[in-house]
Amino acid sequence: MMTYFERMKLLRAKKIEDTKGKMSQQGYMDADDYGTVPLPKDYSFTPVTKDGGIFGITACIENYERFMANHPVYVDPLEILAGRWRDRFDKYREANPWPSYYSYDHLKPLQELYDTNPGIAKWAHFAADYSIGLRLGWGGILEKVRHYRALNTDPEKDVFYDAEERTVLAIQGFISRHIDEIERLLAIEERPECKETLKEMLEANKHILSSPPATFLEACQWMAWMATVSRMYNRDGAGCQLDVMLLPYYRRDKAAGILDDEKAKFIVADLLLVDTHYYQLSGPDADGNDMTSELSYLILEAGCWLDASCNLTVRWHENMDEKFFLQAVRTIFEDRRGWPRFSGDLGLMKYTKNKGITREIARSRYAVGCHWMSVPGREYSLNDTIKVNVAKLFMVAFDEMMASDEEKSLETLKKLIKKHMEAAVDVTAKGILFHMKYQHKVFPELVMNLMMQGTIERGENISQCAELFTFGIDGAGLGTVADSLAALEQRVEKEKKLTYEELDKWLKCDFEGVQGERIRLMLSTSERYCAGNSLGDKWAKWLSETWAATVKGYPMPAPAQIIPGWFSWSRTIQFGSTVGATPNGRHKGAPITHGANPTPGFRKDGAVTAMATGIAAIQPGWGDPAPLQLEFDPRLSAEEGGIERVADVIKTHFRMGGTLVNINVLDKDVLMEADRDPMSHPDLVVRVTGFTAYFCTLSPAFRKLVIDRFIDGM
Amino acid sequence: MTAVITDIQRFSVHDGPGIRTTVFTKGCNLHCAWCHNPETLSFEPETLFYPEKCILCGLCKDGCYAGARVPCGKEMTVEEILSVVAEDKAYYGNEGGVTLSGGEPTCRPAFAKALFAKCHEEGIRTAIETNMSTSREAVLQAVEEADLVMCDCKDAESARHEEFVGVPLEGIRENIRAVSSLGKPLILRTPVIPGVNADEKTIRAIAGFASSLPTLLYYELLPYHPLGVSKAEALGKEARQFEKPSKELMESLAAAAREAGIPVRAANITK
Repeated sequence: MMTYFERMKLLRAKKIEDTKGKMSQQGYMDADDYGTVPLPKDYSFTPVTKDGGIFGITACIENYERFMANHPVYVDPLEILAGRWRDRFDKYREANPWPSYYSYDHLKPLQELYDTNPGIAKWAHFAADYSIGLRLGWGGILEKVRHYRALNTDPEKDVFYDAEERTVLAIQGFISRHIDEIERLLAIEERPECKETLKEMLEANKHILSSPPATFLEACQWMAWMATVSRMYNRDGAGCQLDVMLLPYYRRDKAAGILDDEKAKFIVADLLLVDTHYYQLSGPDADGNDMTSELSYLILEAGCWLDASCNLTVRWHENMDEKFFLQAVRTIFEDRRGWPRFSGDLGLMKYTKNKGITREIARSRYAVGCHWMSVPGREYSLNDTIKVNVAKLFMVAFDEMMASDEEKSLETLKKLIKKHMEAAVDVTAKGILFHMKYQHKVFPELVMNLMMQGTIERGENISQCAELFTFGIDGAGLGTVADSLAALEQRVEKEKKLTYEELDKWLKCDFEGVQGERIRLMLSTSERYCAGNSLGDKWAKWLSETWAATVKGYPMPAPAQIIPGWFSWSRTIQFGSTVGATPNGRHKGAPITHGANPTPGFRKDGAVTAMATGIAAIQPGWGDPAPLQLEFDPRLSAEEGGIERVADVIKTHFRMGGTLVNINVLDKDVLMEADRDPMSHPDLVVRVTGFTAYFCTLSPAFRKLVIDRFIDGM
Repeated sequence: MTAVITDIQRFSVHDGPGIRTTVFTKGCNLHCAWCHNPETLSFEPETLFYPEKCILCGLCKDGCYAGARVPCGKEMTVEEILSVVAEDKAYYGNEGGVTLSGGEPTCRPAFAKALFAKCHEEGIRTAIETNMSTSREAVLQAVEEADLVMCDCKDAESARHEEFVGVPLEGIRENIRAVSSLGKPLILRTPVIPGVNADEKTIRAIAGFASSLPTLLYYELLPYHPLGVSKAEALGKEARQFEKPSKELMESLAAAAREAGIPVRAANITK
């Protein structure tokens, strides 16, 4: 008889094989693992397109229905939960995500000039309210849609209701096919322990096909389905406050004697295996009371059982159970898979500075994405999809200064940066409004609408009727620009080592030749951001304050609001490719700095306290994050007080106003070996940016990104 | 008051409890054969040369930005150092703080005392890492404002100590006893150097001495590492290289030391 732990070990080994299989099908992935498994060789799906794409609610539901009916089922008798996604419907929309008849050509010149990610045509990136689904079940949701459909008299809205009704039926059909598959496997399964759990899986799925989940297992299976079908529609990865959401089921089943902790751990580990959705643990409730429970601990342990890619975030606050916090920090060092991450309540509560945001709303804005938080069911945010390449913007300002008759100085440059920042925010804001106007006609949120507040009641897509429209706009390239401004102040204005004109010449030729290299090194060794009370720190603060003031000063028409943050996601390479050489000694086309982190090599000692302080000081201060990404040597945990030291860094950063901390603990030798031969360590998981991924699935450029940061942190 | 400083390292995790900032003074009165900070031996500023980093720009006199010529040693005032140390004040908590290291900080006793006094004014806890080999007067002045003293006892045999370190052992042990008798919390440490002191007999003897110190917090074994070799080469000096002790050796020495009935730690090996 296999124990649950032994089964999870086998599943982990299988996952490594699946990763190899995915690599051979997709090549380098440079993205979250997502929990997917390889597609069968004979699988194919051909969407029905019109006007060169899949546009509008009817086209979306017709294709999603076909997609769901065609998608292979997945049941593994080793598991206790059914289902796994392998293909995405929205993948078939990627080539042409937006119809030409809703043109935004008028915005494109400035979007290209500032290299913005405008968010237009983007999907998901907000949070469904899982409690709606758990309360109603798929049957209850279907009844709710039919109820409001019956009350509706508007023919246009009937199209919406029809699509939502068919969405639920498509999901139920998909689950039904899995029920058939479970029955088939049950008939041939010989291992008694697997037979037993297949029976439980079957009963659970039969029950939740129409009814709300009643047990811990059913609740987890329901969540697994939500994660799966939502991913399959448009890659939505937002989970929920997992420990709070599951606690009533856990306690009830334990009291009834139908669940023990070993089984609960296996179920949760399976849920985390099914999909790498983002879940939050612990944190304060609306009144500031700690929400840590025995289930929070159990979920951490379940993650350790899984021992693979995972996205759990622990929200730290002053009243937090210290033992749980230390356990979470210890997990990073013991598991070395880049999770959990930590979010800081104090900094995130600055979200209340935005219009209409109460403390209760801010507290319920959970960490459910790469670097972002969203209020479940109530907020439409497009978080992480809207970005401005501030490094590009900076060089536009610099080039304008050099081409103009104005005095070449930091004062002139500051003025031009502000001017272009205003223009970049303006074109980005207009893009958001454009998206809000048309998105429901292009790509409605058919799955997530089912778990949002007001959508079904009103017969509208969430992009039309959310209670909160708080769109995050992230700047990217903070460190690159801050270091550039510092280099200008130090080397050009103070030390007069070269003139602006000479610098411009070296930038244009990308620091060509030996003398160019000397100039480049001179610039790159100026006082950098995160060095501690440096010119770079001063300029980073100025830049972030200017960014926040520009974003918040923009007259965004209600109900929309825009919120400043700093995050590049993994686009540092892509953003860098559009930017010429910069005055911080960065070569043309080289990646810009990651998130809110400094340029690698920012200090000789790489002191994490200097970085934590520097990044806390540049928080835009409106509740959207500017994450701190740390890399640690695993030997630190072996030392007396090592875990406590790291915990102190995290806590102090949060007390200073920090919002999110991502941590990698990696063995240098293993990392270097895996870089030389990725398949030598197929199970090595790293936190690339907001997400975790298998190192072997990353392209050489992405691997370098991780390695550069890591070497800096050693 | 000033001192020549080679480096100030923030988030230092090997130089005392908690999160610390370590200030490395330049200049040492000893010349240990295994020194891992050879750039701190001379009391004067120097330049380390790494030829592999040279880009052949030919402008050495105007300053090197390539990292080929690295200046080592900068005269700093107590106030200048304090301003750096204070940057991490929020992280120090109840355990962390500043550690004055070297070189040998008791070679500048008045400076050590002044820096520590200023740190105390700022509410920052203080620690010193010392070889205890300077005069009794200098040692006592240097540790006067130290909240914690971390000192080396590198061997149990005086003649061998003199051979590898440059001075006999007796004066050091007497200084350690004197500091402990003042009530200063003490961490006694031994760098474990295979071929010199890495045997159970030696470690037992040092542990026995440690057990006689009334204020001993714990005895710590530090494994030799060869990081000083490349720095010595960059200074144009010859460096002697030793074998790195194995994990098994460190564990057996730690076990031998525990026989003295004192708390023992071995870096990176035991919690």
